[in-house]
Order: sequence, then C-alpha cells, then structure tokens
Amino acid sequence: MQKILRVAQREYMETVKTKTFILGILMVPFIIGAIIFFTGRMARGKTGPQPTVKVAVADLSNALADEVKESFDSYNKDNPQRQINVNMLETQEDSDKADNQGRNKLRQGQVDVYVVLDNEILEVEGSGKIRLYTYKPKASNIDILWTIEDRFRKAVVNHRYKTQKIPEEFLTKLSEIRRVPVERLEMGSSDDKDRVQSDIDRALKMMVPFFFMYLIFMGIVGTGQHMISSVIEEKTSRVIEVLLSAVSPFQLMAGKILGLGGIGLTVVGLWAVAACITARWQGLDIDVTTEFVLYFVIYYILGFLLITSLLTAVGSICNTIKETQGMMMPIMMVFIIPLLAWFKVVRDPNGLMSRVFSFLPPLTPMVMILRLSSGSDILKVEIFASIVLLALTVLAAMWAAAKVFRTGILMYGKRLGLREIWLCLRQS
Amino acid sequence: MDAVLLNNVHKSFGEVLAVNNLSVRVPTGSIYGFLGPNGAGKTTTLRMIMNIIHPDTGRIQIFGDSSVDKAKARIGYMPEERGLYRKMTVTKVLAYFGALKGLAGNELSRQVSRWLDRVDLTNWAPKKVEELSRGMHQKLQFAVTAINGPELLILDEPFAGLDPINTDLLKAIMIEMRDEGKTVIFSTHVMHEAEKVCDSILLINKGRAVLDDNLAHIQSQRASNVVSVELEGDTGFIEKLPIVTAIKSNGHRLEISLVDNADTQELVKSLVSRVRVKRFEVKVPSLHEIFVELVGKGDAEDS
Repeated sequence: MQKILRVAQREYMETVKTKTFILGILMVPFIIGAIIFFTGRMARGKTGPQPTVKVAVADLSNALADEVKESFDSYNKDNPQRQINVNMLETQEDSDKADNQGRNKLRQGQVDVYVVLDNEILEVEGSGKIRLYTYKPKASNIDILWTIEDRFRKAVVNHRYKTQKIPEEFLTKLSEIRRVPVERLEMGSSDDKDRVQSDIDRALKMMVPFFFMYLIFMGIVGTGQHMISSVIEEKTSRVIEVLLSAVSPFQLMAGKILGLGGIGLTVVGLWAVAACITARWQGLDIDVTTEFVLYFVIYYILGFLLITSLLTAVGSICNTIKETQGMMMPIMMVFIIPLLAWFKVVRDPNGLMSRVFSFLPPLTPMVMILRLSSGSDILKVEIFASIVLLALTVLAAMWAAAKVFRTGILMYGKRLGLREIWLCLRQS
Repeated sequence: MDAVLLNNVHKSFGEVLAVNNLSVRVPTGSIYGFLGPNGAGKTTTLRMIMNIIHPDTGRIQIFGDSSVDKAKARIGYMPEERGLYRKMTVTKVLAYFGALKGLAGNELSRQVSRWLDRVDLTNWAPKKVEELSRGMHQKLQFAVTAINGPELLILDEPFAGLDPINTDLLKAIMIEMRDEGKTVIFSTHVMHEAEKVCDSILLINKGRAVLDDNLAHIQSQRASNVVSVELEGDTGFIEKLPIVTAIKSNGHRLEISLVDNADTQELVKSLVSRVRVKRFEVKVPSLHEIFVELVGKGDAEDS
C-alpha cells in the first residue's frame, strides 16, 4: 500500500508541474468565463460601431418612398452603432433599367442588399412581395437582414394603414392595448428573496446539467490523456523495468490510477469553484444539494477508474503517443455520445433513451449526472443499480487492464494485436 | 544459503529457445559473472530471476524462497535498458526509488547524499536527469539500484558505456559490497571486465550453460605450460634446456613452452644463473581465450 501511495504521489506531483496540465486547468475556466461574459454583454446589446449597411431599393409601386425613409430614419436614430443607408433607385420612367442598375450595384459590391418592392405590394391580400437580394452575403451581415426585412414590412404596413384610412389615434390606442408586460420571477426561500429572471438566466438554467456533464467529460477525458502520456513516457524512457524491480505491475498501475485520480479531482474541484464564483459574480444562483455532490463524486470516480483502466492498457501496448491515437478514437467516440444526446436527456430524463444510456457503463456517469441535475426525480433504485453496474464494470476493466498491462509494458517495438491481448487475458 | 538457485529453467519465445535447461547456484557473498555472446540468453535469465518474465518450466529460488516479490526489497536490479524519469532532478529520482524500495525519513536522505557522493554526482544533484551525460546517467542508474543496500545486486551489462575510470569506480563498489557479505550477479560480453572482479562465472551460449565454475579453479585447470619471459643477455641456451619444447619470440618477450608437468621453478633457476630476468610469468589462459575456445567449439558442434 505504501508503494502504491508513493507511486501516486510522484504521479500527482510530476503531472501538476507539467505545462500542459497548468494550461489545461487554466484554459477551461477562462473559456467558460469568457463565454458567459460575452454572452452577457451581447444580450445587453453593447457592441462597438459596425460598418454602415448599404441598401438599394427599386420601389416598383412608386408610392413607398416616404414610408421607407421614415421607417429607416427611426431605426438609424435608435441604433447609432449600426446605420442602414437606403438608396431609392429612379423607377418612375424605366423600371427595368432601375432593376438592372440595382442588380449591378449589388454584384459590384456597391450595396450589400438590393430590395425590390413589387407594384402589387400595396394591395391587402395581393400577390405582391418584398424581394430581398443578397450577393455572396457576409456572415457579419446576416443578422441585419432580419432588421431590414422588418423595416420594409413596417413601411408597407404603414402605407396600407393610410390607404385603408385607419385613424392614427386608433393605431396608437391599439399598440397600447396590445402591450402586456411580463415579468419572469424565480421564487426565493422567503418572499423577499424572489429574483427577476432575464433571458440569459433561463438559457443558463438549461445549461447547468450540461455544465456538470461537461465537467465529468473533461475530467475523465483530460486526465485519461495524462495517463496515456505517463505510461508511454515510462515505456519509452525504459524506466519501467527499474520500476518493476521495486514494485509489482499491479502496484504501479494502482498508484498511477490513484495519483491521476487525485489530479482529476483537483481539476474538477478547481473548475467547480471557478464556476461557482463566476455564477455568483453574474448573479446567478445555482443550487447544488449535498446529495448531488455525493453522486457527482461517486460517478466521477467510477467513470474515471473505468477510462483510466482502459487507457493504461492501451498505453501499455503501444510504443508512441502516435500509436495510441488510433486506439483512443473508438474509446473517445463512446464518451462523445452523451455530448450529442444531452438535450434530449435533459428534456426527458426518464425517457427510454435516458434510461438505456444510464445502464451502458461508459455512458453511465455522464448520462446519470445529466439526469440528476436536470431537476426531475430519478428513482433511487435506478441510481443505485447504475452505480452497482458501473462498479462491477470497473472491477472487470481493472482486472483485464492489469493483465494486459503486465505483459504489454515490457513489449518494445511491436504492438500487441488482438490475439495477444486475448492470450494475456486468458493467462492466469 | 544460496542467494539464487536456478533449476532446469527453460524459456522460449515462440520458435526461439532463449534459455535451455539452465541450472546455476549463486552462493551468497560472491560476485558471479554471467558471460556470453550477444543473444546468449543472459538478459532473459536475469529477467526471469527478477520475475519480470516467467520461465516455461523449471524452478527459480531467491534466498531459498520461490517468491521474488517477497524478496524484492532485498534485491537491486539494473536492467539492460537504462531509463530514468528524464524530467525529474537527480536527487528526486534517487529519493523516489529509495522510497519505493522501503527507505524513509532521515535514512532516505542520508542514503541519497551518500550515494550521490559515492558515484561522484553531488554537483549534479539539482540538475534534471536529461541533462546528464551517458556515463553519469549510468552511474545514477547504479546508485538507484544500490541505494537501499540490497543483499543481492543484479546488474545487466553494468559497464556498457562507461569510461575506464568509472568502470573501476563501479568495480570497486561491487567488490566493497561483496566484502560486506552481499551477492552481486552481473552479465557482460566483455571478458576482461569479468576477469578482474568475478569470483565465479557462468558462461552461456545459445541458452545453454557452457561453463559454470569458480574462476580461480577454471584458470588453474586450464593453466598451460607456457611461460612468458623478458630477459637481458644471450638467450641461445634456453632452447637446449631439457624441459623446453619450443620457443617463440614475441617482440622483446620470449614465450617458452615446457614439457608436461615441468616445474617452472627449475626454469627460473636456470635462467637466473645465466641471464638477467626482468619479467617472468606463467601464462594463464584469459577468459577471452577460454570463451573463444568453448563457444567456438560449441558453434562448431552445432553446425
């Protein structure tokens, strides 16, 4: 046991010192923090000035000039950061010429959008359309198209109001009547602690289960990488034989798993703390029960043991990091499944898919954490059964890994094939 | 008690028979050399003693016990493939392996500095292993092997890559340890290295023991009746001496072959009375010669 702890200690200390580890541990919270920060800023609409968008308009009805101007003037007044410049083409004499002119301007890049307002557009329930042309649109202009479209629609509707002789007072009244304010509130533990929710709050609430699952994913997969490189390092530096003269292969493997488990817990702990601080700072309150933390730790440790056992085996039969990559692929693919299916699991935590996934051992930790953090009740029996199944799989995986490890670790030059691995497993 | 006992050990890798019916007894308190050409099965034998690979058949005992794992703390093993953690410092590597081998606390730090001093690496203590030269790396590897003062030292090609000074340093430590009652087993294919330190040798070729004996015994058995001398004066009379069968000039030395069972003392007397004797040596066949003779013969038998 002492030897296992010794190996674990070295593994921990040496990994903590590596640059990849320090970068890795800093990058993730930084990225998450940055995402939260910028999402917040964007939602509040505080963006810097952007280039003016130029629009050419061929008004075939020849009647909308005033309304269009009015509509865009009011937009430009409200949005100094992003102006829209509307250029009405001369359509009175020759509409075909105007159309050609508009198309050419768009193709030559003089304008960003070319809009044709059909003649029939003034008729209510007519066949007229607003046609919006773009030519090789820029990604940065995509969102403004919605605004442009909306403004033209407003101009047309305003004109229609006039032709239909609907009095202005009535319209004002109507818009007042239609305004019904909604406030989204989250009830606090006491009445004075109710909080107003913004749209971001809602989105983030949705993201919480994903966050926990991602934490597990990163913890498991990230430390798995460390495991692989640690085993490969001992193999390529040939230190392994010296080690094996002092410790047994099992002690070595157990020590490694323990040490990197510590790394994993450190990483996840730090990230969780960072996330909590960010959440507080952004005024979000995510409540996490002790029970959930307990489950989180159990699933994390079991999931971690499962993947590291597999990866120690993989590492021991390969000679270079490059060789391991081919074998890592299928293992990683399995762990990506919950990342793809998370939305469905969160929406329907007790659905068939969620349940089936919960009992497929490599997926269990991530899927169960998703389900548990989604807020719905999960049967205690189901939690218990999934933990037992996972634990049994871990034992089997460790047993198999130890066998492969023992043989693989001393094989230089050639990689073990499936047949040899099978032989290792059968050897007692 | 025997430190190591091998009894009819067999090991094959697929088609290749690496060790064939090998039996050897290494008594405690001796330096035992496992000699043989490349690919003879030396490393395989040492690895089997260390229980890194298992013999197909046969029995291996260490300190009278068949479980190496129990004895691991009492053995220091230096594998043929050298390797240490490249990113760790010299002190840390030494301390880590010391701790893995059961040292702790004050004793650990005392042994670390003692061994750094002993292999002349004290100045390099805070450096990373990857900064060491090959020879220094090798000495550190030896220190790692011996740090816990094991009763049995198993060294696979310990002198490979060492300069003469460091080779002597290592030999001195090996002899010192032997004198403390410890056992040293080492393998080499360089015969004259073994000649200077070994008490006994095991000569292996193609997995089979060709010769296994006390070195002094081997040499006395194979002592030839050739004497090498360096003389001053007229040497023409020697040829006519009755005990001399042939004479061969080798630079300023003479190699004198004697009749069987001739008394070398008689030759000395005759020489001293006629010429000035600067050097007189009864030629003992070198291990190299024995090696070439036995292995060469073995090969011939095989083909």
